[in-house]
Amino acid sequence: MKLDTSGLETFVPPSRGLNVLPSDFTASPAFDLPGCTDFDGFQKNAVQMVKPAKGTTTLAFIFKEGVIVAADSRASMGGYISSQTVKKIIEINPYMIGTMAGGAADCQFWHRNLGIKCRLHELANKRRISVTGASKLLANILYSYRGMGLSVGTMIAGWDETGPGLYYVDSEGGRLKGKRFSVGSGSPYAYAVLDSGYRFDLSIEEAAELARRAIYHATFRDGASGGVASVYYVGPDGWKKLSGDDVGELHYKYYPVVTSSVEQEMAEAPVA
Amino acid sequence: MEWGAVSSEGKEVSTILESGSQRTLSPYVTGTSVLGLKYKDGVIMAADMGGSYGSTLRYKSVERIKPIGKHTLLGASGEISDFQEILRYLDELIIYDHMWDDGNSLGPKEVHNYLNRVMYNRRNKFDPLWNSLVVGGVKNGQKYLGMVGMIGTHYEDNHVATGFGNHLARPIMRAEWREDLTFEEAVKILEKCLLVLLYRDRSAINKFQISKITEEGVTISEPYALKTNWDFSAFQNPTKGAEGSW
Amino acid sequence: MALRGDWVYENNGGTCVAIAGSDYCVVAADTRLSVGYSIYTRDYSKICKLADKCVLASSGFQGDMKALQKNLAAKHLIYQHQHNKQMSCPAMARLLSNTLYYKRFFPYYTFNILGGLDNEGKGCVYSYDAVGSYERTGYSCQGTGGNLITPVLDNQLKSPSPLLLPSRDAVTPLSESEAVDLVKDVFASATERDIYTGDKLEIIIVNATGIRQEFLDLRKD
Repeated sequence: MKLDTSGLETFVPPSRGLNVLPSDFTASPAFDLPGCTDFDGFQKNAVQMVKPAKGTTTLAFIFKEGVIVAADSRASMGGYISSQTVKKIIEINPYMIGTMAGGAADCQFWHRNLGIKCRLHELANKRRISVTGASKLLANILYSYRGMGLSVGTMIAGWDETGPGLYYVDSEGGRLKGKRFSVGSGSPYAYAVLDSGYRFDLSIEEAAELARRAIYHATFRDGASGGVASVYYVGPDGWKKLSGDDVGELHYKYYPVVTSSVEQEMAEAPVA
Repeated sequence: MEWGAVSSEGKEVSTILESGSQRTLSPYVTGTSVLGLKYKDGVIMAADMGGSYGSTLRYKSVERIKPIGKHTLLGASGEISDFQEILRYLDELIIYDHMWDDGNSLGPKEVHNYLNRVMYNRRNKFDPLWNSLVVGGVKNGQKYLGMVGMIGTHYEDNHVATGFGNHLARPIMRAEWREDLTFEEAVKILEKCLLVLLYRDRSAINKFQISKITEEGVTISEPYALKTNWDFSAFQNPTKGAEGSW
Repeated sequence: MALRGDWVYENNGGTCVAIAGSDYCVVAADTRLSVGYSIYTRDYSKICKLADKCVLASSGFQGDMKALQKNLAAKHLIYQHQHNKQMSCPAMARLLSNTLYYKRFFPYYTFNILGGLDNEGKGCVYSYDAVGSYERTGYSCQGTGGNLITPVLDNQLKSPSPLLLPSRDAVTPLSESEAVDLVKDVFASATERDIYTGDKLEIIIVNATGIRQEFLDLRKD
């Protein structure tokens, strides 16, 4: 009779000797998959248990001077605000930034991964990767995981040899080139402001103000957006953070409290 | 039945589902609670000898407490066949360790840690060992008592109980446990717990084994029964005072 | 249900809090381990020392918690052999993020806070979700009592957001002993309202002199 020792796998089997480490211990790990028959059901269930952070307004647009990228900073789990300080604009390298909508971990991890790939491209080719190329790298990775439950809605903005670049990439496999995007639950409100105020020949200050206003109005109407409105600018010399304002304070900038004029003074009632 | 790994590059290495391998989807023959507690000189453990097939009492002489090596006792509730497989793993482990002939031997802490990893790794393969295990022992004057669950949850404490025991026996043990319990006192507490379980746990039977482990070694008692008393007023007329019941 | 595999997880409860100061970091967690309405043990430490100036507090599923801690400890051992030094807190934070994400499709059901001192000796707190998204914060609270404690910490410690520009100093104004007292207070309160929090509080204080440990008894009901 042969003993079934399958329960010891992934653990050091005694017969192999105790000084043997798993050979790939220091190698970069691969993704662990659940061994159940219903992968989709498991994913759905796991996602419900870990309650990932959701809810966002992000926008980006190309104009005369470069690209403006802006976002709020709120993360909510249902009705509960899990964070007001999420960094939704991720710095990939000094010339390229990405925005975050959907699963926070998915966005963070794959942008980090994209940063590595962009740097390797730079070292191999002695020049920076184009925004087109970088966005395609990301889109191809996300497409290879399609149907496995990743949730990413991102804009890749940057400056390369061809000038300003802006792409929208999502986890369903979509990749769009464009001049103007907004992603997230607050995007309809942001689009409304953005579309009505957008011109190509905006100055940097005007463009930043438009982006800030669009984010503010989205946080005003969308409960799942809020916190701090951050605005970045990408120009020929790379990206720069222009502003970060608490939207609670922005409210009083856009709608200052007006002291109403006194209509009537209180007076002593006449004696009957 | 396994999913192929996906490398971090995003390339699927293989996603072929091999069918044909067997796994426990639900338990067949099961044992109920195991109790264990530390006392002055070591650890004692108790369990009944029933093996249930669903609600049928299929076996009546199942030994659910076994010695492992020189310093450890292992008690199991849940699927009996899985317990027996675990005993085979441990036998192999102990023999392999003994073959070094270096004067070292595995203590209860090592055995517990080994079982924790085995249980957790099996749940990671979605092929669990359907048991809750109690590990007790003494080595180098150090008493040890711990427990592992089906999916790898594990902890140590001065007294542990699996299944129904965690609900019915632990409160008694919490109230009566002391660091300097004598063997007789410890047995008394365990028998009190066993009786409570016998009265309220449907699958518990009146045939027990109590075992102790000290620096001197393991002693497992012959099977014996406890004197029961079914004359409690709550048993005589269970529905008395329950308005709206017949 | 068995096919969907939801039995592989269990919520063992617990609450973790961490507060970073200018030259210290306080990390605390209760020691209750439970499932449903029953308590497994009243004395289970959820805090793990990973490096000289880096501690990890986790709550969630105990099996995953331990697996994660062992995984990080093993990686840190290899790091020490390769670099002959302790891993810094920011490096450990990134390692933890990646470790969690590598289990993206079969997650560790754990909610973690990493606390310690950064390379400048300032207190730092990193807060995570179960699949590895993380951010550096001044204070953080996770676990079953998180929803109760976070608003109190917001009220007492609310520092200007690190995203603000021009940036404002975001360090917690409290002294070390005040922070420890605040942690004791919030846990005593959470224990009143959260059934998964209680029994005992373990507090770890990291500062330039090293790591110190304190305990406080909590309600056991």
